[in-house]
Amino acid sequence: MSEERFSEAGKNLSLFKEKPAKVLLAKPGIDGHDRGILVLARAFRDAGMEVIYAGLLPTPEQVVDTAINEDVDVIALSLLNGAHMTVFKKVADLVKEKGITDISLVGGGTIPEQDKPALEKMGISGNYGPGTPMKTIIDHVMKRAAEARQKKMSGLH
Amino acid sequence: MNIDSIVKGIENGDHLSISRAISLVETNCVNDNVREIISRIYHLTGNAHVIGITGPPGIGKSTLIGRLSGMLHDSGKKVSILAIDASSPFSGGSFLGNRIRMQEALSSRGIFMRSLANRGISGGISRSAWDVVKILDAAGSDVVIVETVGAGQADLEVRNLVDTVIVVLGPGLGDEIQAVKAGIMEIGDIFIVNKIDREGAFLAIKDIEDTLAMSPGKKWHIPVLGLNSLNGEGYQDLLKVLDQRWDYISGDPGFKDGRLLMELRAIVQNTLLSRVEESFAGKNAFSRTISGLSDKTTDPYSAADRIIGKIYLKGD
Repeated sequence: MSEERFSEAGKNLSLFKEKPAKVLLAKPGIDGHDRGILVLARAFRDAGMEVIYAGLLPTPEQVVDTAINEDVDVIALSLLNGAHMTVFKKVADLVKEKGITDISLVGGGTIPEQDKPALEKMGISGNYGPGTPMKTIIDHVMKRAAEARQKKMSGLH
Repeated sequence: MNIDSIVKGIENGDHLSISRAISLVETNCVNDNVREIISRIYHLTGNAHVIGITGPPGIGKSTLIGRLSGMLHDSGKKVSILAIDASSPFSGGSFLGNRIRMQEALSSRGIFMRSLANRGISGGISRSAWDVVKILDAAGSDVVIVETVGAGQADLEVRNLVDTVIVVLGPGLGDEIQAVKAGIMEIGDIFIVNKIDREGAFLAIKDIEDTLAMSPGKKWHIPVLGLNSLNGEGYQDLLKVLDQRWDYISGDPGFKDGRLLMELRAIVQNTLLSRVEESFAGKNAFSRTISGLSDKTTDPYSAADRIIGKIYLKGD
């Protein structure tokens, strides 16, 4: 399989017939622990997604601004600092404020069980913690990306 | 959002509309959405100075664009940015990392910036780059900056896309022999040696200048500038040179004709190529021709000529 791909690199477009899912990974707020999110970025790339990382310490406004400019399918938020109930909510509110209903929000990090229902209510799904198998996360992000893509396409005509 | 509101939004420079339009055209296979959007905005294009930034990976293209776009914006110009990064030929995925280097400049000024993956197209840009540039141009930009994938010696496609090619190099990349080589050293309208604080920077400038001096007599004198993108050294010179370049382009009414022809050729080529792919994709594609070949009742060249005739005429 991989040999075949080697010979096709740069020429074969069959790999790119379908548009890949586009995901923005962001740690909004004051949280510099970016090892985990870089591992995710790499894993998402290897799963065939187009990945944008918002860099260290972006504000919620910058995250939403980036999501609009890049027209991502999913904003994937992660925080390990305990500020998720404030900062994730800020991002969700800003998205709503801009009238955007066709970008999915997912979350992750160190999120206590009792916070998850409230986050789900804001439209932020997943909310996976440390130790979650990569496949679980990737499958969920892909599913939410497909939902967003479908909404975008149905809004077109 | 539907196409009517997207087109209207582009005319008003609305970021969400521009962004949605780009999503619709950033496809390797041309479809009706692409045709409709481009045909409806084409009359608004042609006003922007389209600048391509190319050079090897890690040389500082994104950081340069961050600083340059901020300065252009502050001098009263409307700037938009398209940055292209590499797709994995194995997974199809991509890590689009250009934005990180320019985020500060962008978000405080409201500059539109979009990252695209090259999706298997070699040459340094993506197939949709022409259409994306048109959208950014039609949205009222004075300057559109296109960043290529980190480029090698032979990634030259950007030459056909932009008005002005800036080749960004740095100290330590090679001697005067390297500077004389064919390829990327031939496509620059402006050369930049970035990271000028590092050892060997002035030697690099000299090597490039010496090479350029071997082919004198061109109407546009190709400048070589040293930049330090961390402290801004040399950027005022770059702004001045870009103004001169724009005056030069504006003074030549036929400047873009060559590129228009190249683009038309590329569209015809791509359309035919996808028709070729389509016609050969079927399980029993050309089975009669194949048996004719194995029976030796025809030969490959005559068979190909017949097929080419069919493919060329399809859809007319």
